[in-house]
Amino acid sequence: MTQLDYILQQIVNAVSLGSLYALVAVGLSIVFGVLKLTNFAHGDVMMVGAFGVALLVGIGVPFPVAVICGIAAAAVAGFLIERIAYRPIRDAPDVARLLTSLAVTYIIENVGILVFTSSPRNFPLPDILNTSWEMSNGAITFTSINLLTIALTFVSLLLLGWFITRTTTGLGMRAAAEDMSAAHLVGLNVNRLIIVAFIVASAYAGLAGILWAAQAGVVQPQMGFTPLLKAFVAAIIGGFGSIAGALVGGYILGALEIFIVAFLPSSVSSYRDAIVFAVLIAFLLVRPGGLLQPNREIKL
Amino acid sequence: MIKLTRRGTIGLGLGAFFALASASTALAADTIKIGYPANLTGIQASLDGPMLNGAKLAASEINAAGGVLGQQIELVIYDSKSDSTTISTVASQLIDSDKVVGIIGFADSDSVLAIGPQVQKAQIPFITPGATSPKLPSQLGNEIFLAAFGDNVQAAVGAEFALNKLNGKTAYLLTDIGTEYTTLLSDYFVTAYEHGGGKILERDTYKIGDKTFTAQIAKLKALSPQPDFVYASSNAEEIGLILKQMRQAGINLPVVGGDGYDTPLLIQVGGDAAKDTYFTTHAYIGEGATPKVQAFIDAYTKSAGNAPENAFAALGYDSVKLMADAIKRAGAPDPAKIRDALAATSGLDGVTGTITYRPGISVPDKSVSVIGVKDGKLVLASEAAPTFVAEP
Repeated sequence: MTQLDYILQQIVNAVSLGSLYALVAVGLSIVFGVLKLTNFAHGDVMMVGAFGVALLVGIGVPFPVAVICGIAAAAVAGFLIERIAYRPIRDAPDVARLLTSLAVTYIIENVGILVFTSSPRNFPLPDILNTSWEMSNGAITFTSINLLTIALTFVSLLLLGWFITRTTTGLGMRAAAEDMSAAHLVGLNVNRLIIVAFIVASAYAGLAGILWAAQAGVVQPQMGFTPLLKAFVAAIIGGFGSIAGALVGGYILGALEIFIVAFLPSSVSSYRDAIVFAVLIAFLLVRPGGLLQPNREIKL
Repeated sequence: MIKLTRRGTIGLGLGAFFALASASTALAADTIKIGYPANLTGIQASLDGPMLNGAKLAASEINAAGGVLGQQIELVIYDSKSDSTTISTVASQLIDSDKVVGIIGFADSDSVLAIGPQVQKAQIPFITPGATSPKLPSQLGNEIFLAAFGDNVQAAVGAEFALNKLNGKTAYLLTDIGTEYTTLLSDYFVTAYEHGGGKILERDTYKIGDKTFTAQIAKLKALSPQPDFVYASSNAEEIGLILKQMRQAGINLPVVGGDGYDTPLLIQVGGDAAKDTYFTTHAYIGEGATPKVQAFIDAYTKSAGNAPENAFAALGYDSVKLMADAIKRAGAPDPAKIRDALAATSGLDGVTGTITYRPGISVPDKSVSVIGVKDGKLVLASEAAPTFVAEP
């Protein structure tokens, strides 16, 4: 293995991990953009998607069908969360909304634990997705699921870009994100826009949850917490509420995590998480609004 | 930190619920009560679950044979959720309300560290069936007893197995620095392995909960020359994934580790990638086991409905027998007397080996089984006591 192969391999690893973070962070940002709400339940919607697939495959449903159903289940979960928990308190102070979002997380997670127990269960992945590929005489390897994660992130974000810049609903969502009462005044149906935002964000969460579980090999009710935390960091680095920012933030975080281990001596890289968060703090000191929103301060 | 606090709060609520649920059953008169906190859910569930089944089996056998001191024994069981806050709540419940005379519990050192100060303060004898840090008694106090060998012993057996049987003169060391168990195990391995003449080419770390090990694996792959084997000091949930990602990257080196591997997850998650993996554990429970172990397998299968999942089932069983033996020799269900009787345990014949405590040392000297994975099945690779053991 040459030095170049090694660097390329680590770049492949970073892009693959970053795609996953970006996908979660984008969903988080869509909701934050429109509602100015940190949706902690986003991680649990991921769990719903992944569990849906695991259960359906368990009873014999073909994998691709199960994936579509899992994403749909996540979208429905997002819709219900908005309708039941968030809409009644939409005009409440930020703290109340933040706490509600935490409460939703606790409820979903604990119902999950009561129904499925918190023991991890196997996530069934078809062999074709487990296949590994190699380049440069085996020096660089990646699996089908790595490729699929990168490709799906790319395609789904292109779709999202088209949706928010080219369709009326998408433009409306951006208008509502800019100023909700003004959007209301000019005759936009704000409720409908918010529901659409939740469904889109939750479908993304479902997809991200399935890809996350595919990489992890197991699902369990608490599985949403780590990705949520990572996505949160990614979104803050990129600029909270900005979709492009979430994307960039996801890749920066993925690259940081991989490169710290890859290129620093192991005595230093064991402080990986500390280094990542130190970078985050430094970032916020220099650019309080994140990378892509240098002038706006983040309010959570 | 956020993770712990948050889990803690969830656990607190549910812990209280379960505490209420089982308190009503603990009122039966004239039984000797032994506390049994178990991490039936959460990250330790795949170890604590089978362990509890083994413990229940031992208790019912003892009771069927007339109990101890003419009384039936009763396990007062709570789910402690693999969470340190819940463990502490459950401990207060056992000590203050249930008035247990002894406590048995946990498969991991972190949980024992969470309950230790309370049992020590209340002077209630405590046996941990599965925690293996030999430092626990000196960290916590004289009420703490291990039913298993110490990590220094299993790490030494792992090192000698790698040196002699795998001919592994050089190693790559991967350590989970998120738990006490894996950190200590890794340190003990290094001491024993280097003492035996082995050389560690590279060390890397990760943290429990990580799902991507590709950066570490690429680093291992870039090593030139390649090491003879990998020692991965890992917990149950990560090892399957580490093996999978390693094999997918084209690395087919043997992997050696400790008793954290000993759960069904190793083969479930690892699949074919688990081939050429070896781990040190408490007993070999499978085809061709000794008659004593086979008798245990049959009894467990009958009571739990499935064959023992791992050696922790046998450890749970042995621990209840160990406690009952001490109560019998103490002559009264009195915690202070039971502690002294426990410390004097000698030659107690268990499924996982003979338990004897040398004066002042609450970690038994036991032999270690090395289990390997062959064709998706566990096979006994070796059984040994180490020739050199690192100081605790």
